[in-house]
Amino acid sequence: MTKEAIDMPQKGGFSFDLCKRNDMLLQNGLKMPSFLKTGTTIVGLIFQDGVILGADTRATEGPIVADKNCEKIHYIAPNIYCCGAGTAADTEAVTDMISSQLTLHRYHTGRESRVVTALSLLKSHLFNYQGHVSAALVLGGVDVTGPHLHTIYPHGSTDTLPYATMGSGSLAAMAIFESKYREGLSREEGVALVAEAIRSGIFNDLGSGSNVDICVITKGQKEYLRNHMTPNPRTYVSEKGYSFSKKTELLSTKITPLRETVVVIEGGDAMEE
Amino acid sequence: MGDSQYSFSLTTFSPSGKLVQIEHALTAVGSGQTSLGIKASNGVVIATEKKLPSILVDEASVQKIQILTPNIGVVYSGMGPDSRVLVRKSRKQAEQYHRLYKEPIPVTQLVRETAAVMQEFTQSGGVRPFGVSLLVAGFDDKGPQLYQVDPSGSYFSWKASAMGKNVSNAKTFLEKRYTDDMELDDAVHTAILTLKEGFEGQISGKNIEIGIIGADKKFRVLTPSEIEDYLQEVE
Repeated sequence: MTKEAIDMPQKGGFSFDLCKRNDMLLQNGLKMPSFLKTGTTIVGLIFQDGVILGADTRATEGPIVADKNCEKIHYIAPNIYCCGAGTAADTEAVTDMISSQLTLHRYHTGRESRVVTALSLLKSHLFNYQGHVSAALVLGGVDVTGPHLHTIYPHGSTDTLPYATMGSGSLAAMAIFESKYREGLSREEGVALVAEAIRSGIFNDLGSGSNVDICVITKGQKEYLRNHMTPNPRTYVSEKGYSFSKKTELLSTKITPLRETVVVIEGGDAMEE
Repeated sequence: MGDSQYSFSLTTFSPSGKLVQIEHALTAVGSGQTSLGIKASNGVVIATEKKLPSILVDEASVQKIQILTPNIGVVYSGMGPDSRVLVRKSRKQAEQYHRLYKEPIPVTQLVRETAAVMQEFTQSGGVRPFGVSLLVAGFDDKGPQLYQVDPSGSYFSWKASAMGKNVSNAKTFLEKRYTDDMELDDAVHTAILTLKEGFEGQISGKNIEIGIIGADKKFRVLTPSEIEDYLQEVE
């Protein structure tokens, strides 16, 4: 029979085959490799016309910043996006998988995907893995039944809320929401509030930092504002410039740009097979 | 599949070297409703008759032309239920390819994988071959493409092809009318004329189905009113 392109576990759920071996290794003094966690501040809120999702862009590996500008707002469907906190690989893989399942579902039903469908698929997957898939998600979108916002915890429980925060910076962001959120916010007010909440996480939590990403979803339209705000700019070149001491004679100057411009030739010869 | 009592193949060779079940499957295709496809210079069109068994059937609920990916569509001749199974499998394979390689599946690859499924069912235990031939229309980096896939699992790329009841007349008609530099609109007109050749009764937007894919690489099925517009142009 056809071999699946992607290897899935035969009967679903976590395979506990190697647990005994891992325990034995730990007892013998092996240090388990650490995984890339996203630290993170992720938020979502429902405003007048739909849903706004926000996230910071720092990915941490213990005390080290592994990625200064990663993307934490993942695509699920044209009208549904999901912010992910926890282990980066887990959030990426799980959102990718559910996005794929929803595409097939859309072909079969001929209808726009609903947020509760994505919610059910995500929570049942996470529950099957009993919390070992470390993904804490903020799922938001607008479908025929209206705007929806949910939080999903790694063990598979969910909440439906008008405003939500997750991740290590969630308390900092929630403080902003609790004092300033009200129903029926306009788009500008909503975006400003989300940006403020993320900034609060960025500056007050070590696990969050760098820039603010925002995604605004309304009926029939979505706007992905990547790096909407960059409150932590970096300078790579000293503004003072370089000058040599008086005794050195400048013979020639050659400036090599760090980024090469690539010229793409349209309609060139195809590569040989 | 291997453990059951039907682990022997139902499709076995005849003394003359033919697989009789596949021949019969092709007969089933040949008695199905006519469908055809034409590859233009800037797109592909596929069309089929939509003759319903009774006037009481809600024709809006019947859709023979299906979308597989945003840039690939398919039409069949033969047994509808068999085509549904293949469409489902093809969609899943296209999606798996996309998840693995993060690029839209090329038309040739999807055709190859669908054909492989059809071939499996001619060499597995306890199953029969599919009673459909598919016409796959797609537009990718290599341009517009049209493939026909048969119950045996063999596939060919065509400039224009027809299948089903009126196949010989339709193919002769297409041979006469086809030109390499045809544009998509001309191709749609030619497709309608070809269908008209063997059509019993009055042709209208409600008893034929047309799917097109143009340079925008978006496959879509035309609405009955759009088909009526084309029909009027043809008259």
